[in-house]
Amino acid sequence: MRVRFWGTRGSLPVAQKAGAIQAKIARALVAAGGQVFADEAQATAFAKANLDFATFGAYGGATSCVEIEGADDAYIVCDMGSGLREFGIDAFRRCAAGHARVFHIFLSHLHWDHIMGFPFFGPAFDPGATIVFHTGHPDAEQALRRQQEEISFPVPFDWLKAKMSFEVHQVAQPFEVGGVTVTLIQQHHSHESFGYQFVRDGRSVIYSTDSEHKLDNMESEAAFEAFFADADLVICDTMYSLGDTVSLKQDWGHSSNIVAIDLCHAAGAKRLALFHHEPTYADEDIQRMHAESVRYEELVRADRPELEVLCAYDGLEVEI
Amino acid sequence: MDWELKRSATRLVGEPRGRVDETTWEAFSQALTDAVREAAAAGGLPLVVDLSGLDYMSSRGLRALTMAKREAGDAVHITLAAPNDRMREILAISRYDKLFKVTDAVEPEA
Repeated sequence: MRVRFWGTRGSLPVAQKAGAIQAKIARALVAAGGQVFADEAQATAFAKANLDFATFGAYGGATSCVEIEGADDAYIVCDMGSGLREFGIDAFRRCAAGHARVFHIFLSHLHWDHIMGFPFFGPAFDPGATIVFHTGHPDAEQALRRQQEEISFPVPFDWLKAKMSFEVHQVAQPFEVGGVTVTLIQQHHSHESFGYQFVRDGRSVIYSTDSEHKLDNMESEAAFEAFFADADLVICDTMYSLGDTVSLKQDWGHSSNIVAIDLCHAAGAKRLALFHHEPTYADEDIQRMHAESVRYEELVRADRPELEVLCAYDGLEVEI
Repeated sequence: MDWELKRSATRLVGEPRGRVDETTWEAFSQALTDAVREAAAAGGLPLVVDLSGLDYMSSRGLRALTMAKREAGDAVHITLAAPNDRMREILAISRYDKLFKVTDAVEPEA
């Protein structure tokens, strides 16, 4: 399997302003220290070797959308945040090259940042496309129809040409999609959310976003440890610091980097992808959070094998 | 994780030893809660958690501290004292150094 991140930001899409780009350029020029490069390729090679991610790269600002490649003749997509638009454009390219026009979309929940990409999802206008929405919410169709009512969007849901259907699943009842076994877990979030486990050929990916692990219900975390058990990759909501989740941002429905690391440690997971980044964070803030997360993993690892802590960004691809 | 509670006329000092993780947090939490209740029953004595004997504490232990703080309310003031370098880093990464008063050592009794 291969996991491709199309949107990694939480709550609200964000875009970098000129000041942020100018600061990156200035840092790069300082790092170059007056060196002369023959062409852009040479400059790029220098930048890759010498600049940190927050300077040479960017985490991106699209909201939640993650593709899991590996199903037979179908796309698997988790959530329809604003990153879905770019996925749709790329899917057209791949479909033109012969990929089946079948989309299985797994919805964590129906909040706006997780469905806002759908009105801009090109394949929904393709009469040859099939879209199956997998959800734990019986009101998923209502949510998608409502955001395309005229007061919100000019194209009504019924004008969409793709063949669409909704499948409501129960937690802890595995089902198969294109050779991938999928299981849901219920999560604590406003109007509930659902995490997904995708398993194929002994490899597993967990998608667990918008999930608050409550202070007064730590006993329930055993269920998440079991759900994450031995996972090859856990994509986890790490929007806030632990301090924030137990104080100002308690009951906001999100988790922290260090709770995610502790759950993955206890589960024996191999890799964690920090996900659903706080929209007010600049690239430097996310990079710092990533570095702190890597350090925390090291501090509490004890005699466990190392948990690799990745930081998801728009465009990241992870081989499973 | 071992826990010892020392009481004087002016304060309680809790001394966890070892590590607080997913296997020991419940014992730590219970000990902390008991200490808070004892401090409150004694008229609101402050509670110092002496971290010097603690190897490290994961998120479960930190959250147990928050539960103890809620139990304490305004009646009992909790201070974290003498964290080792590792615990100090964990307190900073978790931002718990913003939620609790942290001192370099167990301060002498007033």
